[in-house]
Amino acid sequence: MAKPKAFVRKEKCLACGGCISVCPQDAILMVTSKALVNKKYCNSCSICAKTCPIGAIEWEEK
Amino acid sequence: MNYDVVVVGSGPAGSVTARFAAEAGAKVLIVERRAEVGVPVLCGEGISQKVDNFKILEGKRWIATKMEGARIFSPNGTKITLSTEFAGSETGYVVYRDIFDQELARGAVKKGAEIMLNTCMVDLLKKDEKIKGVKVQHFDEKLEIEADVVVGADGVESRVGKWAGIQTTLKPHDLETCVQYTLTNIEWDSLYCDFFLGKHVAPGGYVWVFPKGKDVANVGIGILASLSKSGKAAQLLDKFIATRPELKKGEPIRVITGADPVAEPIQSVKDNLLLVGDAARQVDPITGGGLMSSIEAGKYAGETIGKAVEKQSFDYQTLCEYETLWKKAFGKKLHRNYVAKEIMLDMEDKTLDMLADSLKNYKFEEFSTLSIIKALVTKHPSLLVKLTPLMRLARA
Repeated sequence: MAKPKAFVRKEKCLACGGCISVCPQDAILMVTSKALVNKKYCNSCSICAKTCPIGAIEWEEK
Repeated sequence: MNYDVVVVGSGPAGSVTARFAAEAGAKVLIVERRAEVGVPVLCGEGISQKVDNFKILEGKRWIATKMEGARIFSPNGTKITLSTEFAGSETGYVVYRDIFDQELARGAVKKGAEIMLNTCMVDLLKKDEKIKGVKVQHFDEKLEIEADVVVGADGVESRVGKWAGIQTTLKPHDLETCVQYTLTNIEWDSLYCDFFLGKHVAPGGYVWVFPKGKDVANVGIGILASLSKSGKAAQLLDKFIATRPELKKGEPIRVITGADPVAEPIQSVKDNLLLVGDAARQVDPITGGGLMSSIEAGKYAGETIGKAVEKQSFDYQTLCEYETLWKKAFGKKLHRNYVAKEIMLDMEDKTLDMLADSLKNYKFEEFSTLSIIKALVTKHPSLLVKLTPLMRLARA
């Protein structure tokens, strides 16, 4: 079973870029002032989710 | 489109680089992803009065408050008061960062720089492995902009450096993750910037209260990302505010998040590409303050680029002068404070309380290493052992 991928709750994201700066896979981009996870590169390490100061990164249900 | 230099990002690092490059005669373009310079604000908004020495800001509209100093509260609430001269480099003014950034951008434009908003950099423009400019998306239009020099002033999440092959990914141990409210209708009539320490207050960081007027203040928190969990920074900040009657009745007129690199500086020049500001990790790892170093580095970057344009020489040797200059000016301090950050992270709350107790009546006007040590030893001799690594560092 593949691990769930990180995804950004757009309603919560305030675009600080913290998740982008720590992502070891370079899998997150800022698109129109919201962080966006590129699922293709996400390795489910959860560093971004732990870093998010307001808990805007969750796990995608498959 | 063709320029001498394209600067990616219109924050202080980008605008100051652009200003000094343009002043030296370079044809400069700033590209900015956002639709408004300086918005959203991502900052605690404290800056040293040293910014006045650079003469890059007109008027006073960008100043919210002129501060008289800083107070540090240890985990058990013991207070140390520092007058402005010794309050570190980040507490001279509390500013309106949106106006501040827009004034710096205006200064760059007055010297001849151009700005393109709503312009997101997509990749470097390369020919035969050489950097020839940038590929951007401007509104819905894809453009290629040629330039002899590319400057990445694209902040903590810098991608420009990555595209050039510079390792910019931060370890969670080297990032402060932050939340800040601007609270209004509070009872906080003080001209001090306050810092609150403690593992339960802000693990690996601190809570700050920076007054922005009589009953308005930035109340924020930064915690080390390696000690964070999802949403923890916001939870801890809410908890802090809830326990303080003078803050509790306030209402937020702004909420922002932030990410602050507290890392060792990285390579800032690669061929004809420069990194400036947060992108180059030019941030004090102890205070998390980066405005002054970004501005100073931006000046060096702009002047170096100006010379390169004059000589029409854009190789590493010419542009490397930028790195030499900023490292000479504050590189050593950043490194030393990085090591000090590591030592302080290992300190127990109890040690911080003892430190504060020893220094609470210390007159920081007569600041000297020797007199501080004397104050420490007199009150809590056991501190001496705990502080040995820090003292070794101070001597080095």
